[in-house]
Amino acid sequence: MRRDFLKLCGLAGLGLALPLRHPDTRAADKKDEPYTGPYYVVFNASGGWDTTYLMDPKGVHDINRLYKHGDILTHGNHAFAPNKKDAQGGMCNEDFYKEFGDELFTFNGLDYSVNNHSPGARYMATGKLDSLAYPTFAALVAACRGPDCPLAYLTFGNYSATGGVVAMARVPYVQSLKKIALADNVEGNPKAAYHDPFALNRIEEALKEQHAVVAATPQLPRAERGENMLYAAQANSKALQRVVPFIPDKLPKERLNQQVEIALATFKAGVGVSANLDIGQFDSHANNDKDQMKLIPEFLAGIAHLMRRAGELKIREQLVVVVQSEMGRTPNYNQGNGKDHWSIGSILFLGRGIKGNRVVGATDDKQFAVPLDPVTLKADKAKGTKIRPEHVHEALRELAGIAEHPHAKKFPLGVPEKEKLVKFWG
Amino acid sequence: MLCARLAPLLLFFAGPLFAQAPATCAAVVDNFFADEVWAKVGSQKCLTCHKKGGDGADSKFGLVDPKKVDAAAKDDALRQNAAAMAAIAVSKENGKSRMLQKVVGELDHGGKDVLRADSPEYRILAEFVRRSEGGGKALQPTPDPKAPPFFQGVAMLDDQRLLRRATLSLAGRLPTDAERAAVTKNGIKAIPAVLDGVMTEDAFFERLREAFNDIFLTIGLTDNADTAVLAYDHFEKTRLWYQKHDLSHIKDEKARQQAGYKLANDYRKALLGEPMKLIEFIVRNNRPFTEIVTADYILVSAYSARGYGVFDELKDKFKNPDDPFEYVPVKLKALRSRDKNSKEANQDSLTGNYPHAGLLSTFQYLGRYPTTETNRNRLRARMYYQHFLGVDVLELAARVSDAAATTAKYKVPTMEAAECVVCHRTLDPVAGLFQDYWRFDANFSIYGKRKGGWFTDMFGAGFEGEDLPKGDRWRALQWLGERTAKDPRFATTMVEHVYYVLTGRKVLLPPKGLDDPLYAARARAYSEQRKQVEAIASKFASSGFNLKVVFKEWVQTDFYRADGPTTAIKDACRKAELEDIGLTRMLSPEQLERKIEAVFGERWNKLQGDLAMLYGGIDSKEVTERASDPSGAMGAIQRIMSNDVACKVVATDFRKPPAERRLFPDVEPDMRPGVSANDNKKLRAAMAHLHQRILGRNDDAESAEVKRTFKLFASVVNDAAEAKTVDKQESYFCRPGNKDAPGSRVEDPHYTIRAWRAVVTYLLRRSEFLYE
Repeated sequence: MRRDFLKLCGLAGLGLALPLRHPDTRAADKKDEPYTGPYYVVFNASGGWDTTYLMDPKGVHDINRLYKHGDILTHGNHAFAPNKKDAQGGMCNEDFYKEFGDELFTFNGLDYSVNNHSPGARYMATGKLDSLAYPTFAALVAACRGPDCPLAYLTFGNYSATGGVVAMARVPYVQSLKKIALADNVEGNPKAAYHDPFALNRIEEALKEQHAVVAATPQLPRAERGENMLYAAQANSKALQRVVPFIPDKLPKERLNQQVEIALATFKAGVGVSANLDIGQFDSHANNDKDQMKLIPEFLAGIAHLMRRAGELKIREQLVVVVQSEMGRTPNYNQGNGKDHWSIGSILFLGRGIKGNRVVGATDDKQFAVPLDPVTLKADKAKGTKIRPEHVHEALRELAGIAEHPHAKKFPLGVPEKEKLVKFWG
Repeated sequence: MLCARLAPLLLFFAGPLFAQAPATCAAVVDNFFADEVWAKVGSQKCLTCHKKGGDGADSKFGLVDPKKVDAAAKDDALRQNAAAMAAIAVSKENGKSRMLQKVVGELDHGGKDVLRADSPEYRILAEFVRRSEGGGKALQPTPDPKAPPFFQGVAMLDDQRLLRRATLSLAGRLPTDAERAAVTKNGIKAIPAVLDGVMTEDAFFERLREAFNDIFLTIGLTDNADTAVLAYDHFEKTRLWYQKHDLSHIKDEKARQQAGYKLANDYRKALLGEPMKLIEFIVRNNRPFTEIVTADYILVSAYSARGYGVFDELKDKFKNPDDPFEYVPVKLKALRSRDKNSKEANQDSLTGNYPHAGLLSTFQYLGRYPTTETNRNRLRARMYYQHFLGVDVLELAARVSDAAATTAKYKVPTMEAAECVVCHRTLDPVAGLFQDYWRFDANFSIYGKRKGGWFTDMFGAGFEGEDLPKGDRWRALQWLGERTAKDPRFATTMVEHVYYVLTGRKVLLPPKGLDDPLYAARARAYSEQRKQVEAIASKFASSGFNLKVVFKEWVQTDFYRADGPTTAIKDACRKAELEDIGLTRMLSPEQLERKIEAVFGERWNKLQGDLAMLYGGIDSKEVTERASDPSGAMGAIQRIMSNDVACKVVATDFRKPPAERRLFPDVEPDMRPGVSANDNKKLRAAMAHLHQRILGRNDDAESAEVKRTFKLFASVVNDAAEAKTVDKQESYFCRPGNKDAPGSRVEDPHYTIRAWRAVVTYLLRRSEFLYE
C-alpha cells in the first residue's frame, strides 16, 4: 500500500520533499510542554482606590473620617488603616495583613503624574504614559515567557493592550473553556471525533506544510505576523484539553474570585502565563468611605482567594502578584463626602522573588509623594527621584527576567540608569 | 535617521538582492522644518497652547493647526508657523534665544518647562535656531525628490481578488457573475460602479450599522432600553406601552406570555437600534454624512414610536406597522415634564421641537456616555472629540510636572494651572454645551437643567474659542453640530472611521520617540497614510459628504490593495515603513458567520453569545474592542468551526444534483485518486474550484497549492484503505438533514466523502479563509 501511495503521488505530480521548517513552526511544536511558571497576576482596582484606607494610612488633617492617626495598626514593618468595624463584607485589612503581611511588599508615594482614568490606567498597565502602542506588563511577560501557551495572556478588563506581541484571551465564563477544549470532537464528546485519527493527522500535516511554504514566501510584516499567530493559535489550542480537569464544577459568586478561578485553571494546566484581573467602581467621587469600605475588602478577599487556592493547587510558590490602581484619592473630602482624583498612590507586591514585610517610599502627612533615592531606597526630599510607573515597570521587567528580551527592548521605558531602582525586590 | 545614513552603505554591500529590493527609509534631505521642527516639536508641544482658543492664545506667538484648515491651505499654515517659530528663534534675551529659554521654563513661560535641555526635541530646536540665525534657509517644506514611491516593491491584489474582498467585506457575499465580468472587462475601473450596486444592498447596511456601532457603541446602553432611553419624567405614560399591549388574540397562556416577552425584547432592540439606523438612513439616501451631527430628526420604528408617544401620527408612514424594525424619520416635540411647572425638566424650544442634532442629541448617545455630578459632562465632551473630530483628548494628556501639587495649589486648577488648562480650555466649553442634559438620578432621566445654572468654575459653553450665544442655549447641540460639520477634522475623522471599518484598525498616530532608530521610517509611514486620508477627505467633502465615496476611494487605494512584497523585505527601515501595510484582518465573529453563509449558503450560527465573546467579539458595554489576534481559545474555535462546517456541508452538497452543488459541481463522491489520469485531473480541477470558492485563490489545477491539497485527499483515502476497521459510511454526525430518518445514511465505501471533508476542513483553517 505504501508503494501504491507513492504511485498516487507520482500521478498527482507530487514529490516527497522534506517539509520546510520555520521558527514559528518549531515554536508551535512545543505545545505539549506545559508552562510551569512563574505566573503573573495583576489586580486592578479600577476607578482609583483610597490608599489611605489601606497601606498608606494618615488619620490627620481630616484625610480620613473613619479613624484617627492613633488608630493606625502595624504588622511587622507595615502600617495600615484599621477597617474591621467599617468593612462591608470581603476581607478586612486586619485579617489581610495578619495572613499576608509577612510576604507583602508595599511601595508608597508613587507619582501617577496624571489625574485621569484612561491615561492613568494605560500608564500603570504599561509603564508608558504617552503611547498607545505599548503592551501591558502582563501581556509583555506572557509574550516573553510563554509564547506557545494558548491562553498566555488572560484579561478581564482594564487597559489590556498587547503591543502586538501576544494574543489577548478573554474568557468571560470558565465553562466556555469546556466547550472548546476538545475541538476535534462533536460537541466536545470524547467518543465522537469528527475525523478518524489518521485523517486528522493528515490535515495537520498539510497545514504544517502549507505554513512552511507561506513562511518561505516574501510577505508584508502584518501578513507574516498574522500567519504565524494563526498557525500557533490553532496548533497550541490543543493544549486546552489540559484545562478541563481544573475547571471547577462550581464557581464562587464573588466577581473577582471567579476571575481568579479561571486564571488558576489556566496556570495549573500550563496554558497560561499571566492574568489581568479587574474590578471597578472605585471612583468614589461621592460617599468615598462607604464605597471604599465595600470595595477594598472585596478586593483583598479576591487576592486572598488567589493565594489560598493557588496553595491548594500547589502553584502558590510560582505566583508573582501586583496589586494596583490607576490613581489615588484626594487628601480631602468634597461636598458630596467623596474624594476626587489624586495623582499619588501606592502599589502592593507579593510572591516569587519578592521579599516581604517591607515598605519602600512614603507620602508626607498631606499625602504628597516624598522623593526616593533609587539606590538606597530611602527618602531623599532634596535629591531623590519621583518614582513613576516606568520606574516600577523597569523593576518588574528585571524581576521577571525579561528586561533584555527583544520584545521588551522594542518597548523601552526610557528610565535613566541613575534612576533605576536598585535591589527593589529585596 | 540612522537608517537613512546607513542605507547607501547597505546597498553597496548587499549586492543584487538589495539592489532589487525597494529603497530603504526615505532620507529627508531638505525638509527640516516640516519633518523635524514641526512634526516633532511644534505640533506636539507648542501648538497645544499657542493656537486659537488655546491657553497661550493671548501671547504674541501664535500658530495655526494645519489639521484644522482645508487641504489647500495646509502648506500656507505650515509656512506661517515656520515664520512664527523662526521669529522667536532668532529673538534674543540675555544673549540667548528666547525660544530656547522658554521651552525649558525660563523667561516666564506660561507653559513652564515643556522640554528638558538634554532632550532630542530641545536639540532639534537648537539646530533650528542655528539655521534660522544663518538666514532661515530650508525652512520651507519641500518633498524629498529622491524618495522612492512608498509602495514601490509591493504587489497589489489582482482585480478579481479585490472584487471578492470588497463584496465579502461590505455585503458578506461573493461577487456575482456580472460583477466578475465587469471587472474582467474593465479592471479596477469597474470597481466603483460595482460598489455603487453593493452599497444599496441590505447586507451592506447591516454591516454599516454593525461597524459604526463598533465606533459609537450605542447599543451598549446598560439596563433595559425602554427605561434607559425614555425617561420616566418625559415618557411616563408611553414608554411601557408593551405592558398593556393587547395580546388577547393568543389564546394559549404560555404562548401569550412568550409573545409578550418577544414584544418587549423587540421594542428594546428597536430603541437601541435607532442611532445606527440614522446612519443607515443618511447613507442609504445619499444624504450628507454631516447629518450625523446636524440631522433635525431621529429614526423610529413602529415599536419605538409607541414609546415616544408618536405612533399615531406616524402609523401611515410605516409599510408594516407590526414590523418592529422598520424605521422612519420623525421630529420629536420639545420634552415636557410630568411636573408642568418644572423649570429644569421642561425643555426650552423656540420651535416647539426637540432640538435634534444627529447622534449627539439622541437619548441613546447621551445615555451611553452619561455624566455625573463630578464629571460635569466631560466624558461626553471627550467622546464628542474622539468620535467626530478624531481627537483623543486623553491620549494627548500631557504629563504634569507635579500633578498633586498643582491640584493642591490652585482653587480651580482646570482654569488656573497651565498644565490643566491646556486640555480643559478645549474640553470644558464643549462639556458646557451638554449642560441641559444634566440628569443622572433615578429613572434614567437624561434631559434636565442644573438647578442654579451651569458651573462657573469651568470655562463657559462654546467651541474652540467661540462662546455659545445665550440665545442658542436651547439648541446648544445643534450649534455644536453646525460647527462640527464645517470643521475640516470632521471629514478626515469620518475617512478614518471608514478605514477602521474596512481594516479593523485605527489609522496610524504620529510616531514618538525621536531617539528610535526607526523614527524616520515610522514617520514616513504615518505621513503617507495621512496624505491618503486627507486626499479622500477632500473628495468626501467635494461630494457633499457622501460616505459611499469614502468606501469607494479607500477600496481603490494601495493601502487596501497591498498584497505582498515582490521580494523579501530584509531591511529594518523598510520593514518599519510597511509594518502596517496590508489588510490581514482576522474576521470578527459576525463577519466569519457571513463569510460561511456566502461560501456555503448557510451560516454556522454558533458564533453567538459566549462563543462570540471568546472569539474576540464585543458586548459594546464592558468589552468594547475586538480582539485582533487569535488566542489559543480562538484557535480552538477555528478548529471546531472547520470540523463542524465541513461536516455539515460535504455530504449535503454531494447529495444535490451536480448543477445545484456549490462545492462539488464537477466531481462525483466515489471518484478515487490514482485510478486514472483523467480522474486525477478532474479531482484536481475540483480542488482548484474549492480553492477559489473557499479561499478566493485562483490556483491552477496543476499548481503546487492544488497538488498539496490533492496529496491530503489521496493520503487520507490511502490511509483509510490501509486501515482495517474503518466504517464504510460517513459519520452519523455528518449526515445531511434528519440523521435518523430512513435513507439518511451516507455510503462512503472508499472513504472519499470523508477525504473531501478533510480537504474542506483544511481549507477552512487557513488564513485566506479566516482572515480578510
